[in-house]
Amino acid sequence: MKDLQLPSLPTGLMPLLLCFGLAACGREVMRPMQDLNSSLLQSASSRREPAFGRRWLASLSNYQGREKIELLDLRSRRPVPLPGLNRPDSHPISVSVSANGERLALVRQRGDQTELLLYQRSLGTVQRLELSAKGIPRKVSLDGFGRLLAVQVSRDGRWDVDLIRLSS
Amino acid sequence: MLLGCLLGLASCINTVERAPGGLLQRSQQDPALSGNGKMLAVIVDQRGRPTVQLRDLQNGKILPLRHFSRHQPHSSPSLSWNGRYLAAITQRGDRRLTIIEDRLTGRVHPLPLPGGRAPVRLSLAPDARQLALQVAYQGHWRIEVFDLSQILEPDPSSRLRRSISSTEMGS
Repeated sequence: MKDLQLPSLPTGLMPLLLCFGLAACGREVMRPMQDLNSSLLQSASSRREPAFGRRWLASLSNYQGREKIELLDLRSRRPVPLPGLNRPDSHPISVSVSANGERLALVRQRGDQTELLLYQRSLGTVQRLELSAKGIPRKVSLDGFGRLLAVQVSRDGRWDVDLIRLSS
Repeated sequence: MLLGCLLGLASCINTVERAPGGLLQRSQQDPALSGNGKMLAVIVDQRGRPTVQLRDLQNGKILPLRHFSRHQPHSSPSLSWNGRYLAAITQRGDRRLTIIEDRLTGRVHPLPLPGGRAPVRLSLAPDARQLALQVAYQGHWRIEVFDLSQILEPDPSSRLRRSISSTEMGS
């Protein structure tokens, strides 16, 4: 009995055929953005907590053992400067960005304080936000306009979500 | 002068409120606002199972979801600009899997990661053209971005586009 042999295929054709085969079976396939992913992989030793704006990707990125907030311009694939935001005595926990990349909401740990902050990029200002009732912020989500903020808060032994309408 | 001071003060004051249902739910975690700020997705504890819940912030009502009543635990919800698409990480058997529900058509899009890897956190782009996934890679966290333009129709943000044309910052 003869062995069944597959014809040799040109390099690069196999993934295409695989995608086509999966699509034909009703499975949808996400296409990795190879160039962007390569630059993300090479520019930091680790990266977590992704948060999209319209043409922005915010994340917590580890450089030489220190984690900081980074805002990547998806057009140029380069991080933009965030003067006054990342401090050597603080550790970021969560970040979210408005659609136009102007406002970033964040939670960070500084000493024994967990801070909820709003950063305005054009001004380079960091504003501390206060919660209505005492609690410890954990995660943030900013709406696209940068005017409404949802915050996960540890309070009285349970998790709450506070909404903060931000002044424009 | 006094009026000016008062206006200046008022412009710096932020209003804080509790999310609707907060007093009734045992816990709410992982908040995710839609781009237009009209909807809020959270993870709530439903009979011990972390489950994604979507709420209309204009009237406080819970919005129906067709594909998030099982495959718990759910985590890391994310909404597109108008809330048409809701993405979250779910559990299928012993595998963590991203699914996206199209609230307009009722369709669900299960999106397995190549190589059987497990997503940990996700973010859906406001127009739903891209998905960012946090995954473990060689002992480190890594973010990978995927193109969804062949899978989903865009969820446009026309109002934003007008305002952005005059305000968007360059790099």
